[in-house]
Amino acid sequence: MVGKARFLRAAVVLVVLATSANGARAEDVVVFAAASLKNALDNAISAYPKPSGVRIVASYEASSALARQIDNGAPADIFISADLDWMDDVQKHGLIDTATRRDLLGNRIVLVAPAAGHPADIEIKPGFPLRALLKDGRLAMADPSAVPAGKYGKAALESLGVWASVADRVAPAENVRAALLFVARGETPLGIVYATDAAADKNVAIVGTFPAASHPPILYPIALVANRHNAAAGAFLAYLESPKARGAFEQQGFSVLEGSK
Amino acid sequence: MTPDEITALLLSLKVAAVAVGVSLPIAVAVALALARLRFPGKSIVQSIVQLPLILPPVVTGFVLLILLGRNGIVGAWLYHALGISFAFRWTGAAIAAGVMGFPLMERAIRLSAEATDPRLEQAAATLGAGRARIFATITVPLMMPGIVTGILLSFGRSLGEFGATITFVSNIPGETRTLPLAIYTFTQVPGGDAAALRLVAISVLLALLTLAGGEWLNNRATARLHGR
Repeated sequence: MVGKARFLRAAVVLVVLATSANGARAEDVVVFAAASLKNALDNAISAYPKPSGVRIVASYEASSALARQIDNGAPADIFISADLDWMDDVQKHGLIDTATRRDLLGNRIVLVAPAAGHPADIEIKPGFPLRALLKDGRLAMADPSAVPAGKYGKAALESLGVWASVADRVAPAENVRAALLFVARGETPLGIVYATDAAADKNVAIVGTFPAASHPPILYPIALVANRHNAAAGAFLAYLESPKARGAFEQQGFSVLEGSK
Repeated sequence: MTPDEITALLLSLKVAAVAVGVSLPIAVAVALALARLRFPGKSIVQSIVQLPLILPPVVTGFVLLILLGRNGIVGAWLYHALGISFAFRWTGAAIAAGVMGFPLMERAIRLSAEATDPRLEQAAATLGAGRARIFATITVPLMMPGIVTGILLSFGRSLGEFGATITFVSNIPGETRTLPLAIYTFTQVPGGDAAALRLVAISVLLALLTLAGGEWLNNRATARLHGR
């Protein structure tokens, strides 16, 4: 009997330990943000004058992965997606507080080359000779069938009338940072990434910026996740939308959008 | 199945078969060396061989990119001197799969090599058999259960390889988009679940077939070993 009681006591202690050691606490604000936001949002979080007892916990992943996690009940308070489709997907599941949704940031896509011996600037215009510029190499970009950065790149190349000539020369990467790595290591002569990614890597040089009109606007929507009832999350969301957080985003090359949707 | 899905399936089989075929002789040689020989630095070699088993696959893929990419340490030389490039090619996917499966294959073969009785080989030698004949008629048959297990494990690992492949040779349809990469791609598209699940079902079927085939081969090898 003594052994059994001791076993039970140990079990209770273990359960208590396990639940209390669980990463995020109830008063924490959990932010699910697209991977491309990492540097900027980290800076914004460290500049945030946190009310006592509140921690901001950010999880960075591909927007697609984050949306799927929220769809399946992940305990996120705020979601910032790198494109509208994945925010729409979560909204369709009824998991977004639609009153709080707005487009927070804008970005651009650029053509990059390895920094060492990079070619002269390329004028990106309808019918520009991308295929010839690749020579026998490939064009690194995030997977154009799925990942936002790749979808924007494909749309831009389509509207410029050069997609058909390079479609079979694309090296689709897992995410935009993986595409950046292929260019940074010189594995591909050219790649398409966000302006913010290009700015973050010294090993690549921007050789051209895609005209904003050549692709759908690159928007980062933000919203509170529905049914979370976390007051601290609302306060942090207001901070991210305020001029105080602006510097952190602009420093990394994002444009901060005015007005709400 | 759509043509794209069939392409991914056939590519997976091709990559896994080539990965296993190329790594098998190397694995047998390394396993025999580690099981039989004593040489300085043996434990270091042993550790390096087992490294891909422990490292995250993405690390293995990144190391392959640094070594064998077109601008890699070895890859640049191969490309400029011989015109060979593995970057963004299915052969690169086969290398990634082979490297990831190698520790499993080598370990299984080494265990069976250690379990064989060297006196049987000595006996064959006293009866006048040459080294090649001893290897073919004594050593290999005795190690057969381990070789079969190694082939099975490595083949299975190759079919499932994801992290090293996508890091090293990216995700090119028809060239490096194997089954796991195709499934991953579908999970990245809103509404791609049905297609992903279909490929998942194919993967499960393939895994079961591989296991059944391995079991059959294993039984045969064991039966032959015991003279049945």
